[in-house]
Amino acid sequence: MVQINFARREVNCKIVYYGPGLSGKTTNLEMVHQKVPADRCGKLTSIATEGDRTLFFDFMPISIGKVAGMDTKFQLYTVPGQTFYESTRRLVLQGADGVVFVADSQKDKMEENTESFENLKRNLRENGLNIEEIPLVLQYNKRDLPDIMDVDALNKALNTHGWKHFEAVAVAGEGIMQTLKAVSEMVLENLNSRHEKTRRTPKTTRIYAQKVAQEAAGRAVAGEPAEAPAEAEMELVAASSRAANVVARETAHAPVRRPTERIQGGQAGRRDIAGTAGVRTYGPHRPRTRPITRPRIIARNDTPVTAPAKKSSAFWITAAVIGGAAALVGLALLLFA
Amino acid sequence: MRTEDNLRARRLVFYEKDVTRIERVLEELLKLSAARLALLVDREGHLVTRLGAPVEFDVDSVSALVAGSFAATKEMAHCLGEEEFSIMFHQGKKDSIQLTLVGDRALLGIIFDDKTTIGMVRLYAQEAARRLGDIFARSDKEHPDEESMTENFTADAKGKLNDVFGA
Repeated sequence: MVQINFARREVNCKIVYYGPGLSGKTTNLEMVHQKVPADRCGKLTSIATEGDRTLFFDFMPISIGKVAGMDTKFQLYTVPGQTFYESTRRLVLQGADGVVFVADSQKDKMEENTESFENLKRNLRENGLNIEEIPLVLQYNKRDLPDIMDVDALNKALNTHGWKHFEAVAVAGEGIMQTLKAVSEMVLENLNSRHEKTRRTPKTTRIYAQKVAQEAAGRAVAGEPAEAPAEAEMELVAASSRAANVVARETAHAPVRRPTERIQGGQAGRRDIAGTAGVRTYGPHRPRTRPITRPRIIARNDTPVTAPAKKSSAFWITAAVIGGAAALVGLALLLFA
Repeated sequence: MRTEDNLRARRLVFYEKDVTRIERVLEELLKLSAARLALLVDREGHLVTRLGAPVEFDVDSVSALVAGSFAATKEMAHCLGEEEFSIMFHQGKKDSIQLTLVGDRALLGIIFDDKTTIGMVRLYAQEAARRLGDIFARSDKEHPDEESMTENFTADAKGKLNDVFGA
């Protein structure tokens, strides 16, 4: 749910990356973290297992700057994709303002894609959200691998409502920014249609005019070029949205490396940077835990994708305890480290 | 319809007047309990406001983790037959944190060290949570006209997306 804080002059929106295990959700965030300018992007926090599988969620805040005096931020989350973490996915989806569904394009992953998509619909319903109303974008990832479904077949299987879709190779950073930009635009449009007041008072008109003038003056002092008029901007944004709706590939750019921090779940206590248990902080050249080679060989240790048997309460308690404990460890390390 | 369901139907808004009242409550809480820092975080993990000692940690990340851990324990509570746990407490070697549920809407996080005790913090936190709940209930009824989003907000924001995500 969008938070609008007039005291702190902030607008906060939540975007959740959803999809089956190992589809590329975390990779999307990692690559976005590398590509977005450092002054616009906060830390990437990951609560993950030793094997770099998301245990609870990944989180990263992005600010697009001040808009009409309001610092506008998108909080990006990913869910754990493994079937075991059903209850955790539902928790992370709470209050989502937009969803990116990351599908694995490989033919043998189709069943997992459809099951995860049905799971998404169910969890949205349980959170009081409607998949037909929430801003949603599909990303067909791993387009570089052999033996993949073609886009039409993926659309036929998943894209039941004509949502925007993008091809991507997340490990190379291709398609990830178009995906994020598209869902962000939809979230902002949804904010406009549902929540902006349509009644303008003389005071709000005056406040807005003053803010626009202040921003323009600030740019002039900084020697930045003046922005195009609002109407022209809207047309440019609309045109880029139309272009982005066509399946697109992004030219891979040299990534801008920034330190990220991965919090290992399930571990107690701290260890120093030399490499024992605790917070792992990466410098400018972050070693990748998953090699970028083609084709990727993925060692799967998932449980088979079958209709899950009804789980006992002990199971759900265990899952909630594991996720909660991982979050607590992360919180403690952030606060008290 | 529950308050939470009602809030889902619209945005979560914090007006300046409300945040001023909230900060007054937090200021009194910090003074009486001798705690170091108070954070108010909404259930989705967005920071509403904070008061107290300067911090070195990333507040956005901590807010997300606070909301996430509270959501996880809520599931645990359901499994145990409780509606939810209203208080969580984590003890560190130097600092500790207590998280208190505030109505349906927010979480109050209080960080304190050995200058005070958990008993003092819990005592004043409960009172603060009650007063904060009253502020939210009053805020639900008031809608100050002078604070609103401008009509051009979305168009301007979409223009900014090009700067950050590329054209």
